[in-house]
Amino acid sequence: MSEDEIREEYSILDQSRKDPQVFGLLYEKYFDRIFNFIYRQTDDEELTADLTSQTFLNALNNVGKYQFRGVPVSAWFYKIASNEVNKHYRKKKHDKVFSIEESLVRDLLDQGNDGWDEEHIQRLLNYMKDLPTDMLEVLELRFFEDKDFKEIAFILDITESGAKMRTYRALDRLRKNFNLKIKYDGKE
Amino acid sequence: MMSTGNIQRYRNYSALMHQHEQEVKMKRTFKVFLYFLIIAFVTIILLMVLRWEQKQEIKNQGAEKTEATIFTVSQPVKV
Repeated sequence: MSEDEIREEYSILDQSRKDPQVFGLLYEKYFDRIFNFIYRQTDDEELTADLTSQTFLNALNNVGKYQFRGVPVSAWFYKIASNEVNKHYRKKKHDKVFSIEESLVRDLLDQGNDGWDEEHIQRLLNYMKDLPTDMLEVLELRFFEDKDFKEIAFILDITESGAKMRTYRALDRLRKNFNLKIKYDGKE
Repeated sequence: MMSTGNIQRYRNYSALMHQHEQEVKMKRTFKVFLYFLIIAFVTIILLMVLRWEQKQEIKNQGAEKTEATIFTVSQPVKV
């Protein structure tokens, strides 16, 4: 996302402080992405709908408090969504669910790994299920949501170097067990 | 990942706006109530201080009278 686009979205958010109807533009733009982001962590359609609605409602209620920090507005939505999901699991005292979509993993592997057969992919998917939540979180944001490290740091409330380190460690574990060619910055 | 078509039925901005307006109203009502409580509290404190001051004044007046009585009694009587 370019600097101009980030500024443009911020100006929409700024306008919505006076006129909440304007917020609808951001709602329409990001609803699907936030919905899928939450759905991957709940695997429950109705619950996802509730949490997505709560995410946007929180954003709208706190639009006056938002401070521009050089990251896209979407990062703020992801942050609220992530907090809502964590809050839900804390309340229910359940372990967090992470559903990894096979198609996304296949897309990721197609970027630079030849000769992957079905068995390899299934093994990788099974291995990913056992990864710690914090590692899955960064992998999801980095490779499935296509976020840069600055955004990941903002969403997870960690430093940028912390986000890089976490991604590196997660990929390193995958590299040790599988012949992965993807680097932590997403390039081959 | 769910398709846009499936997600579409959960997308409802007017419902979100309605909920937002309700919450804004609730917040405003709560603020008014809070201000009312603060004003009531300050008024009660003010009244209590005024009453305490009045009581103190009455006490002081009583003490002055007692002192005068003692003074009268303690005077040596010249016969």
